[in-house]
Amino acid sequence: MERGGKRGKVSPHGQHPSRKPKREPKIKTKKKVKRDTKKKDMEELKKEVVMNDHQLTLKELSTKYSVDLTNGQSPEKAKEILIRDGPNTLTPPHTTPEWVKFCKQLFSGFALLLWISSILCFVAHGIQLYFNEKSSSDNLYLGIVLAVVVGITGCFSYYQEAKSSKIMESFKNMVPQQAQVIRGGQKMQINVQDVVVGDLVEVKAGDRIPADLRLISAQGCKVDNSSLTGESEPQSRSTDFTHENPLETRNICFFSTNCVEGSARGVVIATGDSTVMGRIASLASGLKTGKTPIGAEIEHFIHLITGVAVFLGVTFFVLSLALGYGWLKAVIFLIGIIVANVPEGLLATVTVCLTLTAKRMARKNCLVKNLEAVETLGSTSTICSDKTGTLTQNRMTVAHMWFDRTVYHDDTSEEQTGKFTKGSETWFVLARIAGLCNRADFKADQETLPVAKRETTGDASESALLKFVEQSYGSVKEMREKSPKVAEIPFNSTNKYQLSIHRHEDGSPGHVLMMKGAPERILEFCSSFLLHGQEFPIDDKMKNAFQDAYSELGGLGERVLGFCFLNLPSSFSTGFPFNTDEINFPMSNLCFVGLVSMIDPPRAAVPSAVSKCRSAGIKVIMVTGDHPITAKAIARGVGIISEGTETAEDIAARLGIPISQVKARNAKAIVVHGSELKDMNSEQLNQILQNHTEIVFARTSPQQKLIIVEGCQKLGAIVAVTGDGVNDSPALKKADIGIAMGITGSDVSKQAADLILLDDNFASIVTGVEEGRLIFDNLKKSIAYTLTSNIPEITPFLLFIILGIPLPLGTITILCIDLGTDMVPAISLAYESPESDIMQRQPRNPKTDNLVNHHLIGIAYGQIGMIQALAGFFTYFVVMAENGFMPLHLLGIRLKWDDPFLNNLEDSYGQQWTYEQRKVVEFTCHTAFFASIVVVQWADLIICKTRRNSVFQQGMKNKVLIFGLLEETLLAALLSYTPGMGVALRMYPLRVTWWLCAIPYGIVIFICDEVRKLIIRKRPEGWLERGDILLTSAEELRMTRVPRARTELDTSERAYELEADTE
Amino acid sequence: MWAMLQTLNDEVPKYRDQIPSPGLMVFPKPVTALEYTFSMSDPSSYDGYIKDLKKFLKSYSLEEQKSLANCTDGVLFEQKGPDYVSCQFPDTLLQACSGRNDPDFGYSQGQPCILVKMNRIIGLKPEGSPRIDCLSKDENIALVSTYPNHGIIDLKYFPYYGKKLHVGYLQPLVAVQVSFESNSTKKEVTVECKIEGSRNLRNEDDRDKFLGRVAFKITART
Repeated sequence: MERGGKRGKVSPHGQHPSRKPKREPKIKTKKKVKRDTKKKDMEELKKEVVMNDHQLTLKELSTKYSVDLTNGQSPEKAKEILIRDGPNTLTPPHTTPEWVKFCKQLFSGFALLLWISSILCFVAHGIQLYFNEKSSSDNLYLGIVLAVVVGITGCFSYYQEAKSSKIMESFKNMVPQQAQVIRGGQKMQINVQDVVVGDLVEVKAGDRIPADLRLISAQGCKVDNSSLTGESEPQSRSTDFTHENPLETRNICFFSTNCVEGSARGVVIATGDSTVMGRIASLASGLKTGKTPIGAEIEHFIHLITGVAVFLGVTFFVLSLALGYGWLKAVIFLIGIIVANVPEGLLATVTVCLTLTAKRMARKNCLVKNLEAVETLGSTSTICSDKTGTLTQNRMTVAHMWFDRTVYHDDTSEEQTGKFTKGSETWFVLARIAGLCNRADFKADQETLPVAKRETTGDASESALLKFVEQSYGSVKEMREKSPKVAEIPFNSTNKYQLSIHRHEDGSPGHVLMMKGAPERILEFCSSFLLHGQEFPIDDKMKNAFQDAYSELGGLGERVLGFCFLNLPSSFSTGFPFNTDEINFPMSNLCFVGLVSMIDPPRAAVPSAVSKCRSAGIKVIMVTGDHPITAKAIARGVGIISEGTETAEDIAARLGIPISQVKARNAKAIVVHGSELKDMNSEQLNQILQNHTEIVFARTSPQQKLIIVEGCQKLGAIVAVTGDGVNDSPALKKADIGIAMGITGSDVSKQAADLILLDDNFASIVTGVEEGRLIFDNLKKSIAYTLTSNIPEITPFLLFIILGIPLPLGTITILCIDLGTDMVPAISLAYESPESDIMQRQPRNPKTDNLVNHHLIGIAYGQIGMIQALAGFFTYFVVMAENGFMPLHLLGIRLKWDDPFLNNLEDSYGQQWTYEQRKVVEFTCHTAFFASIVVVQWADLIICKTRRNSVFQQGMKNKVLIFGLLEETLLAALLSYTPGMGVALRMYPLRVTWWLCAIPYGIVIFICDEVRKLIIRKRPEGWLERGDILLTSAEELRMTRVPRARTELDTSERAYELEADTE
Repeated sequence: MWAMLQTLNDEVPKYRDQIPSPGLMVFPKPVTALEYTFSMSDPSSYDGYIKDLKKFLKSYSLEEQKSLANCTDGVLFEQKGPDYVSCQFPDTLLQACSGRNDPDFGYSQGQPCILVKMNRIIGLKPEGSPRIDCLSKDENIALVSTYPNHGIIDLKYFPYYGKKLHVGYLQPLVAVQVSFESNSTKKEVTVECKIEGSRNLRNEDDRDKFLGRVAFKITART
C-alpha cells in the first residue's frame, strides 16, 4: 500500500475516508457536515482511487465485510446496510429547473444591459409624469419595446436550447437492471439498486456489473472496462491480485462495466456514489465550468458600450446643466443618452447568428447543446482527444501479415474495400487457419451488409480475423462446412494458444491440426516453416527474421498472433477419438506459417483532420487510458506525432545514447505514462505542455485527464476535450468545450459535454472549428455594422440638446432602424464566406483578439458613424429648408418649436405654422433621416462584408446579404409610404429627392473604406493596420508573422538536433 | 450644404404642401396654455397683456400706415412685382378693441379684448368671403362680440408674397371682446373661434386643433 501510505488517507475500514461522515447514521448533522466537506470532497475526488480490498486475502475480506463467502449476507443485515448506505444508484447530476434555465436566458449578460436600459426608461418616464412634464410617452414606449425585445430573444434562445436538450433526453434509457445475489445461502434476483456492500454477487457474460466487486471465484471471466478506462479490449478477470493499482488488478470488477465472457462471483465492496464509477460521475457533476469565450467577449463588449454610454451621458449631463437646463431635464437627457447607446437589436442579431451556425453545425453532425459553445471551437487552441472510438474505429482489424519473410499490409479504412489477394501458397494456408481455428461467427441475417459492418460473436481479435478471411479469401462458412471441426482447445491465458483439429477439405480421411496464439509460444511448437508453399526446417536466419517481424509489428502497437499447422499422420484418420483433456495426438514439430497483426485502426478521416487542426494552429494532444505503445502507434498513424518528429526515446535509440543524455528540448514529441504523471507537480506538467508540441498521455486515469485539462487552461489555452467514456466526463465538463460521441458515447459523457458529434467522427471537429471561427469573424462584422448606426442615432439627440434644433430623429424611427431595417442585413453577415483560409490562421488569443475592441468602436463610431450622421443631418436640413426653415433659423428654436400652444411659429419666409403643421414637418424629417441612414447603411453593409479584401475581390455572392439590402430598402419604403403610417408610427411619405441626399455620403463611405483596405493590403504592417481594427490587425498580423516565426524555430531546432547528431 | 442652400429660392420656399391651410392664433399669448386669467381690480394682473397689445398694434396705427396702399375691398390683391405693395389695415377697424378709446382694452371692466389672427401662408388665396366666427361656450356667462363686424377678413390682404418681397405686410386682424354678464357669479368662459365662409380654409382637423380654429379660456376675477 505504498501509494496509500504516502497519502496517509487509508483507514482499514473505509475506502473513502472523507466520505465517512456522510455514512454515519447521525442524520441530523449530516447536511451540515456535507456542506463543510463538499470542497474537501472535490479535492479528494480529484485524487486517485485508493482502496486495498484487492490486496486482501479472502479471509481478510470476509472479516472486513463480516460476510460468509459461501452463503452471503443475511437478508436482514442487507436491509440494515441498505438503510445505512442508501440505494445502489448514482446520484443523478444536479439538474437546473426549467424556470431557472429560462431566467438565465432572460437575465444573462447582454439581456441584463437591455433590462437596465428598459428600467431607466421607465424611471425617466416616471420622473416626467411626476413633475407633470408635458412631453410625449416616448420613454414609456421605448421601455416597453426594450422589455419586449429581451423577452422575445430570451424565449427564442431558451427554445433553441430546450430543443437540443430534448435530443439529449432521447439518449437516456432507463432499463431497470437485475442482479443475482446470494443472501442467506439463497440465490435471488434483486434490483440493482438494492445491492449492498458485502453482498455476494454472481455475474455472467452479458451482465452489467451491479457494483464494485472483489472477485472470489471466476471462470474465464472477461470484462469490458472501456467506459471506465478507455481500454478497447476486454480484460480477463480472475481472483489473483496482480497489480497494486486497483484499476489494473485482475480481481476487481467495476460498477457499470460489462461482463462479456465467462462468469464470476464476488463480494460487493462499494455501491452507488462510492464506487469508482460513482466517484467519477460525482467529480464531473461537481465541477464548475467557466464562462464560454464568446460569453466573455460579450461581457467585454458590454463594458465597452456601457463605458461609452456613461461617458457620453455624463458629458452631456454636465453640458446641459451648463447650458441652463434644469437638473430634472438634464437627468432625463442623461438617461436618454445612455439608453440611446444601447444597440437594441444586437442581442437578437447575435442570438440569431449563433443559432444559424448551430443549425449549420447540426447538419454537419455537430449537435451543440449550449448556444454559446458554437463559437468556442473556433477559439480552441488545444484539443485533448481520447483515442478509442474518437481517433480510432473502435474495432480490431487485421493490419499486417508476415509470411514468406515479407510484411504485407492490409487496408484498414472504415470501408475495407481493398481485397487482399496474394498468390502465395502460404497465404492460402494462413487464411485457412485464420478462418478455421476461430470461434467467432457472424450473427444471422446480415448477408446484405458489407463484411466490415456485420456484427459478430466472439472476441475482438477473432472477429477481426473472421472478417479478414471472409473478405480476402472467401466464405468462411463454406470453408468450415468443408472441413468440419472435430476437436478444439480454446484460448486461455496460461496456454496462450488456441488449437483445433479439422477434417481435410478434399474429404480424404486424414485430419489437420491448426494452432494460433502468442507468436513466441507458437514458434516453440514448430520445427519447420512454410516458404512459398514449401516446408523448410527452421534455422537461425528464419528465427531472426521472425524476431525482427514480431518486434516490428509489436512496435506498431499491434496485437500479433502466430499461426501454424500440422497434417496429422494417417493413424489419426476419420473416427479417431481426439481427447483434448488428456492429449492423445502429436503437438510438436508443427509447421510455422506466419504472423497476423491487428489493431484498432485510426478512422480514415482523422489524419487529415489532425493536420488541418495543426495548420490551424491547434495543438492536438492524445489522452488515453490505453498502453503507451498502442497510443504512440495510433498517434503516429493519425499524425498527432508527425512524421519526422521524435520522442526522447527515439532520439536515444537513433543516436545509441542513454535516454538520460538526450536533451529534453530536442524532442518535440513526448509520450507520458500515467504513472509518471502521477508523480509530477504542476510545474513539471507545465514544462511538458509548454516544451513539447506533440504530446501523448497514455494510461491516464480520469482524474489525470482532468489535471491535464486544467494544466492546459492554466497556460491560457482554450481547451476542447473529446471523449466517450465515463472516465472522460470530468475532463469534458472542465474543458472549455467538451465534445462527446453521439453513437458510442456514454450518457454521462453526453451530459457533461457541450457539443455532441452525432457521427463520432473526429473530422467533424474540424468543421466545428471552421464554423466557430467563421461565426466569430462574422459576428464582428455584424456588430461593426450594427454599432455604426448608433452614432447617427445619438447625435440628433445631442444636437437637439446643444443647438436647440427640432429633434432630427425620434425614438420610433430609431427603433425602426435597430429592430427593423438593420436586423436582416446584420444577420445576413453571418452568411458571409471567409475572406481567407481561416484554417490557415492561428487560433485567436482570447486576451488580445476581442470580439469588439476600442479600434472597432473607434472606426464604427468615429469614422463611418460620423459620415452617416452627416448624411442624416444633411437630409434633415434639406427637408427643413425646402419647407421653409433655414438651418440658421432652426438654431435655438427648440423651446418655441415644441410649445404646443404656440401656433404661429414663423419660418424663414414669414409663413406661420401651427404646432401640428410643424410637427408633421419634424416627423417627415425623422422619416427622411431614417431613410438616409438606410441608404448609408447600404454602403456600410457592403464595407462590413470584408475586413481586408476589396468587395471587388470578395464579390457579392452572399445571396442573403443581397436579400438583406432589398429587404431593408423595401421595409423603409413601406414604413414611409404605407397610408396610415402618419397616424400609426408618425412616419410620412418622402419626396424621391430626399432619398437621394444620402447617396453621396454612402459613396464616400465606400470609397474611404476601399482605399483604406487597399493601403492595408499593400502595406500590411503599416500604421493604418495597427491602428485599425475593423481589420483586426492582431489577427491578420499573426497570419503573416507566425508561420515565419515557426519556420525560424524549426530551422533552429533542426540545427540543434544536427549538433546533437554530430555529438 | 452650402450648395444645397444655393439651390433654394430665398423668396418662396421650395415646397408649401405642408401648410395648405392656415392656422388661427390668439394674441396676446398667455405664457402657458391658452388661458387668460386676470383680476379686474388688480391692474398688474393684466398689464402684460395690455403692453403686448399696445406694442403689437403700434404697427397698425394710422401714422405707421401712411406709406401703405389703400386697396379695393372684397377682391384679392394680386401683384406681379417686382415691387410688392401692402394694404392698409387701420386699427380703427377694431373699434372698441383698438385701444384708442379704452387704453385698458376692456380688461379693467371685465370685457377683455383678444386678437385673433390667421397665420400667414405665402400665396394663399382664400375663396368666398372668409370671416372669423367666435362663440362663447356659455352664453349665460359671457357674450362675444367681434370687430370688424362679423369678424370679416377682407380678401384684399391676400395673397401674401413672403417676408422678403412683401415688406410692411399687415396681417388682417379680428378682435374678440368677451363681455361677462354682470349678474353671473362665475366669470370663466371658453371661447372658440373658427374660420367660416371659405371653401379652401379648413377648420376641422382631428389632430390639428389650431387649423382654422382656436379655443381659449378666460377667467376674470373681480
